[in-house]
Amino acid sequence: MIEKMTKSRAVFCAVNYALMTLFGVLCLIPLWHVLMASVSDPRLLMASSGIIAWPLGTPTLEGYRIVLSNSAVIEGYGNTLIYVAVNAVAGTLLTAIAGYLVSRKNFRLAKPLTAFIMFTMIFNGGLIPTYMVIRSLGIINTRLAIILPALMNAYYIIVMKSAFEQLPAAYEESAKLDGAGPARILFQILLPLIKPTVVVIIMFSVIGQWNSWYPASIYLPRVRDKWPLQLIMRSLLIQNDVSKLLTSSSEANHVVNMTGNLVKYCVTVVGTLPILVAYPFAQRYFVTGITLGGVKG
Amino acid sequence: MQAKTARAPGRAKRESLRHDIAMNKGLYLLSIPIIAFFLVFSYAPMGGLVIAFQNFRPQRGILGSEWVGFQNFIDFFTNPSFFSILRNTLVISGLGLVIAFPMSIVFALLLNEIGSRKFKKVIQTVSYMPYFISLVVICGLVTEFCSSNGAVTKVFCAITGRPKENLLTNPDYFWAINLISDLWQNLGYSSIIFVAAITSVSQDLHEAAAIDGANRLRRVWSITIPSIMPTIVTMLILRCGSLLSVGFEKILLLYSPSTYSTADVISTHVQRLGIEQTQYGYSAAVGLFNSVINTVMLLAANAISSKVADTSVL
Repeated sequence: MIEKMTKSRAVFCAVNYALMTLFGVLCLIPLWHVLMASVSDPRLLMASSGIIAWPLGTPTLEGYRIVLSNSAVIEGYGNTLIYVAVNAVAGTLLTAIAGYLVSRKNFRLAKPLTAFIMFTMIFNGGLIPTYMVIRSLGIINTRLAIILPALMNAYYIIVMKSAFEQLPAAYEESAKLDGAGPARILFQILLPLIKPTVVVIIMFSVIGQWNSWYPASIYLPRVRDKWPLQLIMRSLLIQNDVSKLLTSSSEANHVVNMTGNLVKYCVTVVGTLPILVAYPFAQRYFVTGITLGGVKG
Repeated sequence: MQAKTARAPGRAKRESLRHDIAMNKGLYLLSIPIIAFFLVFSYAPMGGLVIAFQNFRPQRGILGSEWVGFQNFIDFFTNPSFFSILRNTLVISGLGLVIAFPMSIVFALLLNEIGSRKFKKVIQTVSYMPYFISLVVICGLVTEFCSSNGAVTKVFCAITGRPKENLLTNPDYFWAINLISDLWQNLGYSSIIFVAAITSVSQDLHEAAAIDGANRLRRVWSITIPSIMPTIVTMLILRCGSLLSVGFEKILLLYSPSTYSTADVISTHVQRLGIEQTQYGYSAAVGLFNSVINTVMLLAANAISSKVADTSVL
């Protein structure tokens, strides 16, 4: 629409651009600060305070060397990858099956099953009873405690359901006439047709699992070797437990103190980079993902 | 297929169920793992809520533990910190509702006024990004910036002229720190849904109004906002349904005994007493109280909005 630029409109636009730029810069500053601090000289870093706009001293990868040769960090990385991969594969398959079932029109169980699943969105047992169930299953301190409860959730199933419902019934009917069973219809014919939805669900479960720390903190209290990276990062960044991470190596105490800060920044980068690298590619799916079957709270 | 659509009551119904099972054997088989999953991980915990009415001891199990009626609830309501916990919960989620929620709408409206597509795209990319960074990292940054030598502390103390201190250990600042870091992380992302709604508003309406002499502000007020109202109401309903569930993982990462007076909310109280101090019955009762209020709020907000605004989520 062509419109003449009034004076008040010009002022508004200038202020608006300024505000948006300011907010954008504010979003970036902390990340830039961490990145720059992670390659700074550890001695200068110890003495510095405030935002680091440029590497202090000669840029060094010393912190990354320590972090990437640390067994706890490597182990945490491996654990996170396991949890993410299992969740993305098994979780998405089960979610697809559930979404397919509740979207079948000629299936008597479809409606009751929808209600059965949807009810869990409105009401849940809460933290303690869920914890008791996991405990009584005997899977506390095993990887299953992280993997199993996260496999499915009602929200993703509803998203799958609405994607299946938008497909013409003809696909399924002709496949049925050809003698294909439900598993074959679902995985070979229908699922490829709703690929964008599947991608969104995989993407959000990968990000969710990558960033998850709380379930591991209550379900894996005694097995540090099964901790995901985020939980190791918590003990480093928030509980300030750098010594525990570093004393495994032979470094002397004052070195630990000195490099401690540096290590924190490097771990932050190492733990965040994969998400930020994948982010631009994932971005085009956000709007689809969010506006797909409603809204995630 | 035709026979199934015309269902008769009674025996014929049972017949048709048998027929349905015979017809859809594969689908019934596929349902088993799905039903089992929700039974174990969603419905079993709901059943486990009975321990809220027990003096539950894990060694004795649910059947062997002593029933205490509403004692656990009474213990919570008479707990000396009950009011401060309830107040903190309501204030922290209320601030989100009153400040963060409208700000995400305003942010979307302002973003829509940006003429340059390229600049708009950059701002969107940058402002959505913090949402994907893990809470652990966000809280690590908050901890660093609010420490007695941190960047935020420096700026804050320079402006207010107060002596430098670790802001995170001062209970007076906890609500503000929590709200501001929440805005930093989520403002951009939570505006996506409104940006999408605004883009789908018909341009014809805008042009017609412009010809009638309505200025920009007038058109935003009378066209854009009414058009995105269903989206706003839907989001509001969902917010009301979680009024008592504040982002508790973040509070767990940020709070400390020195800030319990303003930072302890219902869910952190449950976590501390249940998981750390193993008072299972009591904390299950507190959790149940929380869930019930949330469900009632959600249903009430939904009922009101379906009457008033003709929008509902359920």
